[in-house]
Amino acid sequence: MAVRKLAVLSAGLSQPSSTRMLADKLTSATVSRLEEAGIETEVTTIELRDIAHDIMNNMLTGFPSPKLDAAIETVTGADGLIAVTPIFTTSYSGLFKSFFDVIDNRSLTDMPVLIGATAGTARHSLALDYSLRPMFTYLHAVVVPTSVFAASEDWGSGADQIKTLPERIERAAGELAGLVAVSDRSSRVDDPFALDPSFSPTGGFQAD
Amino acid sequence: MQFGIFTVGDATTDPTTGQTPTDAERIKAMLTIGKHAEEVGLDVFATGEHHNPPFVPSSPTTMLGYLAAQTERIILSTATTLITTSDPVKIAEDFAMLQVIADGRVDLTLGRGNTGPVYPWFGQDIRQGIPLALENYALLRRLWDEEFVDWNGKFRTPLQGFQSTPRPLDGVPPFVWHGSIRSPEIAEQAAFYGDGFFSNHIFWPPEHTAKMVAYYRQRFEHYGHGTAAQAIVGLGGQVFMRKNSQDAVAEFRPYFDNAPVYGHGPSLEDFTSQTPLTVGSPQEVIDRTLGFRDYVGDYQRQLWLVDHAGLPLKTVLEQLDILGGEVVPVLRKEFAMNRPADVPDAPTHASLVAAAGAREDAQPADPATGAAFGLGAASAARKGA
Repeated sequence: MAVRKLAVLSAGLSQPSSTRMLADKLTSATVSRLEEAGIETEVTTIELRDIAHDIMNNMLTGFPSPKLDAAIETVTGADGLIAVTPIFTTSYSGLFKSFFDVIDNRSLTDMPVLIGATAGTARHSLALDYSLRPMFTYLHAVVVPTSVFAASEDWGSGADQIKTLPERIERAAGELAGLVAVSDRSSRVDDPFALDPSFSPTGGFQAD
Repeated sequence: MQFGIFTVGDATTDPTTGQTPTDAERIKAMLTIGKHAEEVGLDVFATGEHHNPPFVPSSPTTMLGYLAAQTERIILSTATTLITTSDPVKIAEDFAMLQVIADGRVDLTLGRGNTGPVYPWFGQDIRQGIPLALENYALLRRLWDEEFVDWNGKFRTPLQGFQSTPRPLDGVPPFVWHGSIRSPEIAEQAAFYGDGFFSNHIFWPPEHTAKMVAYYRQRFEHYGHGTAAQAIVGLGGQVFMRKNSQDAVAEFRPYFDNAPVYGHGPSLEDFTSQTPLTVGSPQEVIDRTLGFRDYVGDYQRQLWLVDHAGLPLKTVLEQLDILGGEVVPVLRKEFAMNRPADVPDAPTHASLVAAAGAREDAQPADPATGAAFGLGAASAARKGA
């Protein structure tokens, strides 16, 4: 049975957190879809709260602590990423953005990503499309068309009865599973010392 | 093996007194530190180059020229000389001049700098950092190794029949180290020329330094300059010492907590465990430093940063006393033990002159290779390889 690695990032701060709940639902739906396709999934979930200090220290010192380094390896070496953040002040949380600020901006190229967000009201839902999606596009990740937003009311009686949260989750998970199934990112060997083929130690001018 | 200090040259407020040295006070302090480095028996004094406050050393060869006159033995160097934004013609001339003044006690470490705006201030584009370092150094080498240079590159006004002056002392240019924290291109460049590779070492975890040095060593061998074990490696380090470990930690903590580079970030304890920073007794510094060899192999030069983050001059001079009195004598002995005989020392002016002489004895001057025109040692070695 083929194996794919799925990294899950939750920027929720409280415990229990609705951000983590959404991340877990997106994860189990994706894992089910992959299972149906005969693919086993190794899931690693990272709570950014656990490495919040490490992320800020990396900002200040320029290098990751061993704990943060392991998290970065998990995320960048995965076949797919589920990234979920609470919406704070009209955008992703600062902690969520900070994680992506400290990783190498080439390390998410081609990464299949499913984005999700939570907030108190559905009026914030477009933040997914005006802040998260462009950020991942900048990083050359492949963001699936369906993003999933869960407002507080989605977890209870005020939920959307027409396009329900479970329906949206299923649709997004199906899109992500399709990309993860054909991803070979986790088995690629990354050579940090690989030089550009055009590299010349003399600069390419006046070379001997 | 060479031991010494390198200074960034920051004029930082002492967090324990609120006192900030003026530029003039800081520069004078650096000169005192440089002289004292020789008095306590260190081998190398190196200064950084910066073009923005709070850093004061914008003109390293001026500073090193003064120290050359005030000292007898210590090697005067840089950490680093900005190869990206300085004109290679001026670097060639400044350091050839300094060579004469210092009777050859000069080498230099090239770097790209870490302050973004310096590039536009000097008319360059930071996105061209690596190409600038490569091309500018290619020109610098030719200016030293060849008498008359025709040059047409991407970044500088062309030269026709240009002769850089003065010519390198005894026909031998200063030895060059290439400094880089994270760019394999620079390690590759150092290996290509058979130059030294200096790893800053102090801001990143040792595993990272180990990989960079291993890469440089392997490429040094690939380019035919010797075995990987014979490559010329220098390391940075950062120490604060008192007789008792606890006293060192208590005294250094406010400087660490407020330091410009890592202040208000990780704890002193975390930073000490994750980087080569060592705060403790002289014996702890000895043990930690000896451990560097475990992951980079036998190396040639160890420089420490001791005069930053607002530490008062008196304290810095005491650090030098401890380094010279208690730490370095032990390290000299310990590093010499089990060091393979074919691992060379860092090149000096004398050793480069001797090597150039030996090559000329071995093969008569041949105009076709340019040897008759006083080709420098490094270039002759490359052509011979």
